[in-house]
Amino acid sequence: MAIIASDRRSRIQESPLRHVDPLLFGPPLILGALGLLMVYASTHRILESEHLDPMFFVKRQIIAIVIGLAAMVGLMMIDYRRLRELSLLGYFATVLMLVAVLKLGVDVKGAQARFDIGPFQVQPGEFAKVFLTLVLAAYCTRHREEMSGRRLVTALAICAVPMGLIMLQPDLGTDLVLMAMVFTILTMAGARARHLVVLVLVGFTFAVVAVQAGVLDQYQIDRLTSFANTGADAERSGYNAKQSEIAIGAGGLTGKGLFAGSQTNGQHVPEQHTDFIFTVVGEELGFVGGAVVLGLFAIIVWRTSRAARLAQDPFGALCCMGVLAMFVAQVFENVGMATGIMPVTGIPLPFMSYGGSSIIVSFACIGLVANVHMRRFS
Amino acid sequence: MMLALAGLTARLVDLQAVGGAKYDTLARNQLIHPITLSATRGSIFDRNGHELALSVPRPTIFADGGLIRDPAKTAAAIGPILGLPVPQLTEDLNRPSVHFMYLARRISPSVAKRVTGLGLPGIAQITESQRVYPAGSLAAPVLGFVGSENQGLGGLEQKYTDVLAGTPGSLEAERDPTGREIPATERRMVPAERGDDLVLTLDQSLQYVAEQRLTDEVAAVGAKAGMAVIVDVHTGDVVAMVNVNGAVGNRPAMPATSRNRNRPLTDIYEPGSTAKVITASSALESGKISTDTHFSVPSEVKLGGQVFADDETHDVANWTVLDILTRSSNVGAIKIAALVGRTNLDRAMRNFGFGARTPIQFPGEASGLLQAPSNYDPAIMGSMPIGYGIATTAMQTLDVFTTVASGGMNRPPRLVSALIDANGHRTSMPAPASRRVISRATAASMRKILQSVVMSGTGKRAAIDGYSVAGKTGTSRKPPYEPPYHYMASFAGFAPAESPRFAAVVVLDDPQNATHGGEVAAPVFSAIMQYALHLYHVPATEGDAAGATQSTAAGRGLTSNVSAPAP
Repeated sequence: MAIIASDRRSRIQESPLRHVDPLLFGPPLILGALGLLMVYASTHRILESEHLDPMFFVKRQIIAIVIGLAAMVGLMMIDYRRLRELSLLGYFATVLMLVAVLKLGVDVKGAQARFDIGPFQVQPGEFAKVFLTLVLAAYCTRHREEMSGRRLVTALAICAVPMGLIMLQPDLGTDLVLMAMVFTILTMAGARARHLVVLVLVGFTFAVVAVQAGVLDQYQIDRLTSFANTGADAERSGYNAKQSEIAIGAGGLTGKGLFAGSQTNGQHVPEQHTDFIFTVVGEELGFVGGAVVLGLFAIIVWRTSRAARLAQDPFGALCCMGVLAMFVAQVFENVGMATGIMPVTGIPLPFMSYGGSSIIVSFACIGLVANVHMRRFS
Repeated sequence: MMLALAGLTARLVDLQAVGGAKYDTLARNQLIHPITLSATRGSIFDRNGHELALSVPRPTIFADGGLIRDPAKTAAAIGPILGLPVPQLTEDLNRPSVHFMYLARRISPSVAKRVTGLGLPGIAQITESQRVYPAGSLAAPVLGFVGSENQGLGGLEQKYTDVLAGTPGSLEAERDPTGREIPATERRMVPAERGDDLVLTLDQSLQYVAEQRLTDEVAAVGAKAGMAVIVDVHTGDVVAMVNVNGAVGNRPAMPATSRNRNRPLTDIYEPGSTAKVITASSALESGKISTDTHFSVPSEVKLGGQVFADDETHDVANWTVLDILTRSSNVGAIKIAALVGRTNLDRAMRNFGFGARTPIQFPGEASGLLQAPSNYDPAIMGSMPIGYGIATTAMQTLDVFTTVASGGMNRPPRLVSALIDANGHRTSMPAPASRRVISRATAASMRKILQSVVMSGTGKRAAIDGYSVAGKTGTSRKPPYEPPYHYMASFAGFAPAESPRFAAVVVLDDPQNATHGGEVAAPVFSAIMQYALHLYHVPATEGDAAGATQSTAAGRGLTSNVSAPAP
């Protein structure tokens, strides 16, 4: 025992950087690099045909990854327990940005979800992922083991503000990811089972009422339901899903080869470099490529859940679990819609989909997990 | 959490390992848009290799509405060159969503060059193949015509369209969803295979002369139409098949166009006296009469409540078959038929080919009308023996004479003698099976009788200098058989009578100035038959058999444009 204690003491005195988990960083970096390749595969031909720089999207993605890595390292530097104190500030800043984006944002394909700042776009919804996780984890930690009904309602109210604002954009996908995170954190924080059951029932009722009462636009309902029968409406709402399914299916076991995917080269799958990046993997690299990607995400899930288990305090654990829930929800929803088993909602694949905010926030989330993990002794 | 990822992996296995092939097909179908490469249509040659129909590449100008920048300006520039009205063209070109529209198809290369030389965006040229008939309207209704996509729509072009069309090739290339070819991807080209050439039995030269001569006659006698067919007795090869349209208003009589019916095969008429050949030969064949049998022939006879009379009234005569046919006596023919009986007569007519389509199987070919014996009305044994109450095509009428000419064997007619494939390999079309219709002896008797028709009977004007000619006139009233009468005037026969080489039929529809087949059709027969015999170097007939005595008949020969109206 003494030896262990002294060992522990000695570790506390060491720099936390000595305790980082290399396995946690590997997969995101590989996924990021693979994402660059896939973005190039899906965009270079169309760019060439328009006589533009074929590396246009790749270069911007590289910048996003660099910023993301910086954000990751930056987030690691600040002790996550101090982040807990700063989280409220970030939360309010995010809410302000979400309000602002509704007023000042750019309308892209019917959703008002981003600012254009110079050549770059910022999606506050993505950043809400980080700060809502931190705030919710902080609140739940303070009231751990005593999550009464009232506290649960308060926690939900904290979440409802940014989620409601995101719903107004509307960005159903981000909200779904946040829901997974919220539900996971509440569960891990010891919310009572019956409360959670009620929560699920309320959520379900709300969804039914929303569909019935026309809160959701018809296109949202179409998109959500067309996945069940993609063939029925292959020319319209089911088109994207159908094309994506064909592309992935056509890839077969080993794929068509890098840059040789005909569906990809033919631009048959819309939004392929962003939300449907997985179809490029599926078509050009086949099942092998898809399995590798899922395997890399599995490693992230494994190391993140390990970080949660080894976390020094409940706040750290909840943060890790929140991040974990979001990654899994995003991967499941994104790959699920690409393979036709989930409805089409605009959710990027972490580390791979083209899109600065998503990339930066994904790496930042890894930074948060690493932060918790490397300070498990201090 | 891991379960979610496992579920995704399972879905990937389902999609990529299990369903891979299916999706690969789906993907290929989306990607590969084959372009059809049209095959060059085969040519049509006459029997001597002269081109009657061929395909030549021609430029076609089309527009891509999506690329046109200024419809008005473009229309103003090319409209006058292509002869298209500019306002309409402007409207047509102003359709950005229409990426292909024909502006002018198969135009002359020089005009196309003037258009493409302008370098207007959205205006471009492709090459299409155009059907050309170098001999103009020669044999046009026989050849037929093709549609805008070179599909056969009439005549032999239609009948042999599959043979002529060839096999279209295809160019498979990967294309993006907007139809643009993706560079540096797999391309697969299957070249188009040229269609087979058709070698006809027609003789261009003979066809031309026959057309001209018949046109002259149709004009001279004011007929509504004329038709003629010449066949090679040895083979059944149709060496000329002629259609002439009569004058309408200010438009003079002229050879029919490709849009007209090929009347010798498609139109039926009551043959009239030419059918007496069947009546006579069936009687001879049955053995019930001989060439010496004499018939007591009055001027008219009543049958089934109907009176049948000869053209000219005469006292009761004592005539042989030869006499009856030479004078074309209706009453005599009816007397002969009475010996044959309706069943045998019906069988004889069918045996000679009446009531059935020829092996040519021309598009729209008629089989003729021949009632079943059970449906005969009481007067039928008065009408049928003299070529009424039945309807035949001119080709069927001619077949009767070809059969007699060839010694009793029928010679089913044909128009196509061979196919030549793209590699120059020639395949002869098998000659249709020939069968005996009447005995050699009956045929010989009939030849003599028909020769007499030309030498001393109604068909004197069919005679040819230096050749013996056999034949029969036909003059039938057209329905409804009421004054003013309209006639189908015909002559069918063969030459040389002793060793026939060609048989021919000439039919004039509703001649005005003269109505008897011997007056209007026989001279045309004489002229075209003479040309055919000369063209094929058929030796002249020796001795008295040649009908040289009739050489003064008007309207003969190639130099005469107008046949003298009969008195």
